[in-house]
Order: sequence, then C-alpha cells, then structure tokens
Amino acid sequence: MAQPPPRHATMLSLSNSNSNSNSHSNLSSTTTISTPQTQTHLPTPSQSSTGLRVPSNRKTIYDRHLNRSRNAELSRASFAFLFGEMVTYAQRRVTGIQDLERRLNEQGYPLGLRLLDLLFYRTVTGSSSSSALSSSSSTSASPPNRPLRILPLLHLIHGPLWRLLFTRPADALEHSVSPDTPNEYMITDNDPLVNTYISVPKEMSMLNCAAFVAGIIEGVCDGCGFEAKVTAHNQPTEMWPSRTIFLLRFGESVMEREKVLERAGVK
Amino acid sequence: MSSTTKASRIGEELWKTRVDKVNAELVTLTYGTIVAQLCQDYDGNYQEVNKQLEKMGYNIGMRLIEDFLAKSNIGRCANFRETADMISKVGFRIFLNIAPTVTNWTSDNNQFSLVFDENPLADFVELPDDGRAQDELWFSNILCGVLRGALEMVQMQIEAHFVSDVLRGDDATEMRVSLVRYIEDEMPPEEE
Amino acid sequence: MSYYFTILSPTDVPLFNIAFGTSKSGGDGIARFRFPDTAQYMNQFIIHSSLDMVEEAQWMNGNMYLKHIDTYPPASAYISAFLTPSGARFLLLHQPPHAAGPNANAGGGGGGGGIGGSSSILGGSFAAGSSAARASASSIAANPTSPQTEEAVRQFMAEVYENYVKTVMNPFYRQGMEIRSAVFRSRVTAAGRKWL
Repeated sequence: MAQPPPRHATMLSLSNSNSNSNSHSNLSSTTTISTPQTQTHLPTPSQSSTGLRVPSNRKTIYDRHLNRSRNAELSRASFAFLFGEMVTYAQRRVTGIQDLERRLNEQGYPLGLRLLDLLFYRTVTGSSSSSALSSSSSTSASPPNRPLRILPLLHLIHGPLWRLLFTRPADALEHSVSPDTPNEYMITDNDPLVNTYISVPKEMSMLNCAAFVAGIIEGVCDGCGFEAKVTAHNQPTEMWPSRTIFLLRFGESVMEREKVLERAGVK
Repeated sequence: MSSTTKASRIGEELWKTRVDKVNAELVTLTYGTIVAQLCQDYDGNYQEVNKQLEKMGYNIGMRLIEDFLAKSNIGRCANFRETADMISKVGFRIFLNIAPTVTNWTSDNNQFSLVFDENPLADFVELPDDGRAQDELWFSNILCGVLRGALEMVQMQIEAHFVSDVLRGDDATEMRVSLVRYIEDEMPPEEE
Repeated sequence: MSYYFTILSPTDVPLFNIAFGTSKSGGDGIARFRFPDTAQYMNQFIIHSSLDMVEEAQWMNGNMYLKHIDTYPPASAYISAFLTPSGARFLLLHQPPHAAGPNANAGGGGGGGGIGGSSSILGGSFAAGSSAARASASSIAANPTSPQTEEAVRQFMAEVYENYVKTVMNPFYRQGMEIRSAVFRSRVTAAGRKWL
C-alpha cells in the first residue's frame, strides 16, 4: 500500500478515534496503519463517546423536534435587551466603529450557517404549502435546491431567511447599476428590527448595528459557496429613519463560476 | 382568588394584548451567540462567564422593570410571596412566555425556588463536552442578573443563583431566589 | 452489504465516520469489508478520490441528495453523496458482499476471509442462497445503483441530516468541529439499521 497523501493521513487519524463497536471486527487490525503520533494525542474510542451527563429522562438536543419552536414567539423587548447587551459588550472590546461592526458581523456569521441548515431542513420536512423556502418573489421549487447561482441565493436571503428571522421579507433587492461593480447587490430593510431599540450615541452616528445581520447574510452566502463581504449601511429616508442597505460584494471566484454556470445553462 | 391565579391571569392577558412579539428563535439564537462568545473570549473560564452573564442581566433588569411596570400597571406587592408570583406569572410570561413554578419556600418566606419546565434561552443547546462546562457553566445565568437588577429598582435587594440545570444533566432547572433586604432608605413616597 | 459513512467539512476535514453492515436480509449490522486489514484506509481513500466528482456535480445539480456519484471497481465500492446547504458533505461508501450471502459471511467473521481477494465480484451475482421472500430487501443489499437502493440511501441521508442540523444548531458547535456526541453516533447507527 502506498503512503497516503497528507489529506488522507488526517482522515486516518480521525477515524481511528471514531472507530465504533459496530465495526470492531474490521477495525481490530487498524493499528497497523496508524502512526504512533496520531495515537498518542487522540482520544480512545471510549473517550470519544461523549462524557456529557443527561437528565434521567435522557432527553438531549437530539430528542427535541427541530420544528418545535418554529412558530413560537417571544417578546420583542427581550430581543432588544439581549441584542443591546451584545452590542455593549462588543463595544468594550473594540477600538472603533469599524472594529465594532466587524465584531458584530463575526457574531452573526455562524448564525447564518445554522439558519441555512435549519431553513432547508424545514423545507425537506415541511408540508409543501408552507414550505419555508418558497419565496413569494421566486418560483417555489420543491424539493428544495441548494442555490447554484447568485439570484436564487439572493431570493433565499430576501424571502425565507428574512421571514425566519423577522417574520416578513426584506423590502428590496437590487443589482448594482454600475458596470464597474457587477458583483454588488443590495438588500434593503426599511425598518430593521435590530435598530429599533438601539440608540446609537451621536459620536457613533456611522455605526449600524445591523452589521450583525450583515454577518448572518455573509454566513448564508459563504455556507452556500458564494464567498462574499456583506456590510450594513444607514440610508435613512424621511419615512424610514433607520432604513438600512445591506451591500453584498461577491468574490472574484464566484463571478467567474457564475459565468461558467451561465454558459452551462445552470439556473 | 389566590394571588397566584390572579397573577397568572394578568400575565396571560398582557402576553396576548400588550406584548410586541418576535420570532422566538431569533431570541434563542442571539442569546446562544452571546454565551458562546463569552466562553470564547474568557477562554473557557466559566466562572467568569457566569459573572459576566449575571452583569449583563443586571443591566437589562434595571431597564426592563420600567417596561414591566408600564405594561402591567400593577402596584406594590404586599409581601415577598406576592412578589414571587409576579416574577413568575407576569414577568417571565411577558418576557419569555413561560411561567416557572414557584416552590420550596423557606419558613421565613424569604427564599423560594423557580423551577423551569421550559427555558427558551436553552433551546438547541448542549454544553461543551470538555469535562468542565457541565460542572461550572450556568448557561442561563443572565436571568439571575435580570431579577437582581429589576427588583433593586423596586427597592428589593435579592440574591439569585441557579442550583441545577437540565443542561448539566440535572432533572430540573432550578433557580434559588433570596430576599436580602428591602431598601427602605430610598423608598419613594407611595404612589397613588 | 458493508457501509462506510463519513461527514466532511466544506474544506474536507473529516467530522464524523462510522462503518456498519446491512441490517436487511437478516444482516447483523456489522461491516465486513473485503479486505478487513486495509478496509478503513481504503474506504477513506476511495471516498476522498470521489470528491472531485462531488465538486463537479455540486454546481450542476442543486439537489441535496446527489445519489450514486462514483464507483471504484477494484473494491467494487459505490459512493453516494448528500450535500448540506452549508457545504458539509455526507458520503456513503457501499460495498456489496462476496458471492456468499450474509449468513455465510457471518460465519467467517470479519477475519481473513477477504484477504485472499478473489477477483472482484459485483453485487449482481449475489443471488445465491437468497430466498424469494428476501427479494426486495436483497435488492438494496445487492444492487448499489438500483432505484430501491437510491431511495433507501436518500432516507438514510435525510435522517442523518436531521440529526446533523440538531448538532449545528447548538451555539457551542462551530463549523468544522468534529462531531463527538455518542447520541449522534447512535442516531446514525439507528438510521443505518432502519434504511440500509
């Protein structure tokens, strides 16, 4: 047997820790192919089985139905208080507005990844009529498809993601008109929930706490394989003083792929 | 009608008619993000995380009480037992749409437990499997601070801490609340 | 049929893997790969070799379940893939048993039976000894590309996905972390028993 390339070597070491009783008869001889180093700092199978205690009813996160809180509601004030504390806490650890926005963005990012999986799960299992992914602005497809092109991705964010988070779709979705920036798209929220109760000090008037939501969007884009930078910008109007535009800038590789897929007829 | 039943009715009514709502999962996930971030920032020093959560809660409590009083329009509680009912049946109902059970009173009526059948803050949560989190982290510790901050604003100094949590493998999630003293000095003139 | 199931992160970091055997047609759920000594290494090697196919299919087909995407004839190993929207890949390698039925195999245990490595025998020849009553189940066990198998694998993947989502919803879970929960493992095992 040839020496495995590095990428396979990491596979090996991990699987060693993951060997389970079911496959024991096959794995009894695996030591012959695992290197000594990998064995020393990897948990043994008995350690890799979780050490977490569970209540006597043995309920774990795996026993809770993922749709249980789907339509549940909580107080808007509770959200505002928690979010306010999140911002205040982040503020203590940063040097300026940009830094603060970056930090809020980073906190939103993993949420985007989670919500993406949750949205799709709900569509797989949900009844077709109330499919979480059916967007009023896009033709609802079932079974759900992972977005392959930018447009369906944007519809996913504008519709289903916004509805899951804010119980309504976003207010607008636009493509940059400038020929220099074909990779820029904008999603508008006229009245972002995250800005409702947050009063920003005057010296920080540039701050937009929706950077948190921008991070969520970025997580969704990245998760789907569309590398992007997402930022939140204040664009008040008389009618909508906290109107916010989320600017999505897709990476070069995404735009390249977009062209290839276009030619291949992928929608 | 017992004060408990009365409080339940007030709580239910307020939840239905006076409370602006958001998707519960947004709240749950935001809180989870906060705790996970703290654990990361304090590098797994869970005692410190508990402390920070309590502090955050305290800040929230001091502001939340206004909202609570404005919505509920209820007057001063006659005693600590009534306060406990208000916390459980009205306060928790308005802000988290739950009503933890008030139980385990001490004979001097100065200490009770809140037992949580449900805890929306902890939905989806499994503590880190690092051999310490289940012994050291109180995931919902922010609630202790909220109670302390809110009650301080109405002249009650209390102490609150969790004694068990299903996330730690306990059979119940229980918070112990003790009245330290009424802050008589700063008592404002009786309203109405 | 023997199975090797693995979850890879978007950057190909292995997050979870498990080997098991069929529970259909009287199977006992224990994996019996043809070359037990090297099975684990081979399985991982084969699965990684199929990643190019996955990456190609990934952008042509928006389904989460990509069905059977690759075959590795030397080990008569078949790979099915499922992609989560957040970029994790679920890969299932299935290897039909030798000409002998599962019961005969059970007698031989996971020992050296396969090492001699008789010439590769594809699943289609697994008819010997099957009773008619087993026909539908054995089609899963024996024919990795039949519609019944595709459907059984789809069900398996969907069930694993549900548990995977529960894992990632935990605020303490970060993308790319190994999934070490024993409960998760038992759920995957149960899904395997139920569908495969």
